[in-house]
Amino acid sequence: MSSLFRRPLLRLRERSTAVLAGLALALFPAVLPPSQPGAAPLIPGAEAQQKLLRISAIPDQKPETLNRLYPLLANELSRSLGVPVKYVPVTDYTAAVSAFRRGDLDLVWFGALTGVQARLQKPGAKVIAQRDIDGSFHSLFIANTVSGLKPIRNQKGLSELKGKRFTFGSESSTSGRLMPQYFLGQAGVTLQDFAGGAPGFSSSHDATIALVQSGAYQAGVVNEEVWQSSLLSGKTDPRKVIVIWRTPGYPNYHWLAQPDLDQRFGKGFTAKLQGSFLNLRANNPKQADILELFGAKRFIPAPVAQYDAIEKVGREIGKIR
Amino acid sequence: MTPVVTAPRPGHCPWPFQPPAAPLLMLLPALVLLPLAALLPGLVHGGGWELIGQFAAAALTPSLDPVLLGAAFTGLGVTVGIALLGWALSLALGLVGGVLSSRTIWRTLLAEAWPAELIRRFLAVPRSIHELLWGLLFLQLVGLQPAVAVLAIAIPYAALVARVVGDLLDALPTAPLDALRNAGAGAPGALLTALGPALLPGAFSYGGYRLECALRSATLLGVFGLGGLGTELRLTLQSLQFHELWTGLWLLLAVMLLLEGSLRLLRRRWGMPGRFGLDARGVGRSGRELLLALLALLPVLVLVARALGVNPASLLVWQALPPFLPNWPVVLALPWGSMVGTTVLLTLLAAALAVGGAPLLLLFVAPWPWGRLLLQGLWALGRLWPPPLTALLLLFVLKPGLVTAALALAFHNLGVLGRLLLEAADSAAEGPAAGGAELALRCAGCGPRLALLYGRFSGLARSYLAYGAYRADVILRETVVVGLVGAAGLGTLLLEALSSFAVDQLLALVAVYAALTLVGEDLSDRARRRLLAS
Repeated sequence: MSSLFRRPLLRLRERSTAVLAGLALALFPAVLPPSQPGAAPLIPGAEAQQKLLRISAIPDQKPETLNRLYPLLANELSRSLGVPVKYVPVTDYTAAVSAFRRGDLDLVWFGALTGVQARLQKPGAKVIAQRDIDGSFHSLFIANTVSGLKPIRNQKGLSELKGKRFTFGSESSTSGRLMPQYFLGQAGVTLQDFAGGAPGFSSSHDATIALVQSGAYQAGVVNEEVWQSSLLSGKTDPRKVIVIWRTPGYPNYHWLAQPDLDQRFGKGFTAKLQGSFLNLRANNPKQADILELFGAKRFIPAPVAQYDAIEKVGREIGKIR
Repeated sequence: MTPVVTAPRPGHCPWPFQPPAAPLLMLLPALVLLPLAALLPGLVHGGGWELIGQFAAAALTPSLDPVLLGAAFTGLGVTVGIALLGWALSLALGLVGGVLSSRTIWRTLLAEAWPAELIRRFLAVPRSIHELLWGLLFLQLVGLQPAVAVLAIAIPYAALVARVVGDLLDALPTAPLDALRNAGAGAPGALLTALGPALLPGAFSYGGYRLECALRSATLLGVFGLGGLGTELRLTLQSLQFHELWTGLWLLLAVMLLLEGSLRLLRRRWGMPGRFGLDARGVGRSGRELLLALLALLPVLVLVARALGVNPASLLVWQALPPFLPNWPVVLALPWGSMVGTTVLLTLLAAALAVGGAPLLLLFVAPWPWGRLLLQGLWALGRLWPPPLTALLLLFVLKPGLVTAALALAFHNLGVLGRLLLEAADSAAEGPAAGGAELALRCAGCGPRLALLYGRFSGLARSYLAYGAYRADVILRETVVVGLVGAAGLGTLLLEALSSFAVDQLLALVAVYAALTLVGEDLSDRARRRLLAS
């Protein structure tokens, strides 16, 4: 008999436990801290942000490096331009180009190839500035010392890389893929010639260095600037990974701005923006930090015509359609 | 819930004259291990063993840096939120779609079944495109926002749910419906009364499994930059920060196991069938409790959507795709033949490894009590790691290519299959008959492995293989995902097309993928029907 009396109570308890369990499970994401703006990888919605200048950059280096550099720059730009500036991180090169096309980003630090892609998709976009080193930029072919690869004298020597495990950086990287593939092609090396019938794509220059140093890939190609800063910081072990060839120079990184900034922020804004970059000086401590993190002595104007060659190579390799 | 137990067939003939017994059939796919064992030594380059060692060692010392933990928790919240919203939306849409694609319903309402057939065909298209492809497509159209990932999960999932619900509905006995109709009840009322309660256990059980899948999908979408923890997993793996990587992995593992455990408890409590027994008849229990839980879910979903900043209205603002001049000769010149071949081979290899591997491993560890725990741990990791991450990890020691990609896919699906097999085996052991068979074999002097194989697996073999056929279909869809890390197949081309903004190639690739998965789905359906019929 007693069980008969106890049952409804028991059932009630069971029921409430189940409901609680369901609730707890479902509530879990809600009790977590809401995503912080800026840190979260999500770009704020499509609403036209009239007075906020959204800057971004292709993620060619470690996220920590980018997260240190760009908020500094955002502060400096905000001070000199008198508008709020926000750094919006993106996850890959293609996403940066797409977001620029849609107008989700106002000012982006592009590589030469992604810059050309972005200008083709957003006619009228304005090239703002480049660093002193970007007019003639170089890539370095690097190799793991165990691989037996030795520094090569001329471009033809790149054929040594046939049959090796080789990694590029991002698919859309100018210095980590496009120009190196172009130089490899001139030396008669196609992508199918690498071990496994295909090269790897490490996604960033830092990742390429780490992978080649570890021996996961026998050789790779990186941006000279990232290589030097990695060497200086002691992250790279020169006994494990060496440079085997330095490419000829080509134009690379630049700032690209939306065509409609003057309408949104007032007449002459684009020119003022350009001025802010060209006027960064190493004798101002804050600006010196920025220049140092960018690996530049100063920013200079970037002639648009220099990217014609990049566009031609891009079309040859099929990265520009 | 009721396990189907087939008695061992009497009268064994020598093998060439009769197909092998059902439990052996289960192990047949594992034969693929032989050619693989021959191939593998040639593929190992071993350059990165040190990295694999560091990766494994880092599991014990995940980074506990507060900033990182905060970011990981935020990412996890986004991932879980996306999964929950995508899942709920897919269930709602899928139920409607399922009812619309049921022949019984149309026959009762209109006395014609052709609209059901039509809707079924139509729903096959959204299903044939992997959620990642949907995500990348929406990304181009509406920009990066949380609603993209939610929609990317909801669309293919809804079509899947619709199919399963439609099949469940059509498999229900129609006698109660006929009785009600003959007694003069109206069509809608009769349908609801006769089919509604009978449908629920199967549909809810399946819905629960979909939530587990949604969590995996949301993680995967994150790996490709669509928000959440996946992004951090990929970034930390690619920059070789293994301690930071494990922080995210452990958190994700905890959430996944918690989710699976709670759903299992709820399934038992509510008397719902396991994944293999979806067609089994039965009625659920505690209907009111279930309803309450569902009602409680609604405000929670709204809160989650708020917290994530999901804004459905923003999905309506479309941007044009990048401008392009279709260059069809170039599209046609792509190496279609070899790419399709690689994709199919990749699917078969991965499916055979996963389907054959799970029972083989269970048998292998059967004599040792700790072996099972070890396997469960390994399988949990397999389910947890998105295949592209496994592929990236494998590339440290293996050459890129078909086998590497297949191993990554197989590891993930082995985790899914293994758990379901174990779950089914456990609930089979609870049945009086099945446990008896195994016990009887043990008492008759059989070793633990043979007893498990013939005593327990024999009853499960057909439904397991039928599920395996379904899984092969899922793997075919998933090949795109490992292709995206440059491992093999059509996915590699897709990645290049994406980063070159070659919309013509992109569309052609998606169309070929869709066609391929439609054929695959048809073949897997046939295989499943044959397996379940005999």
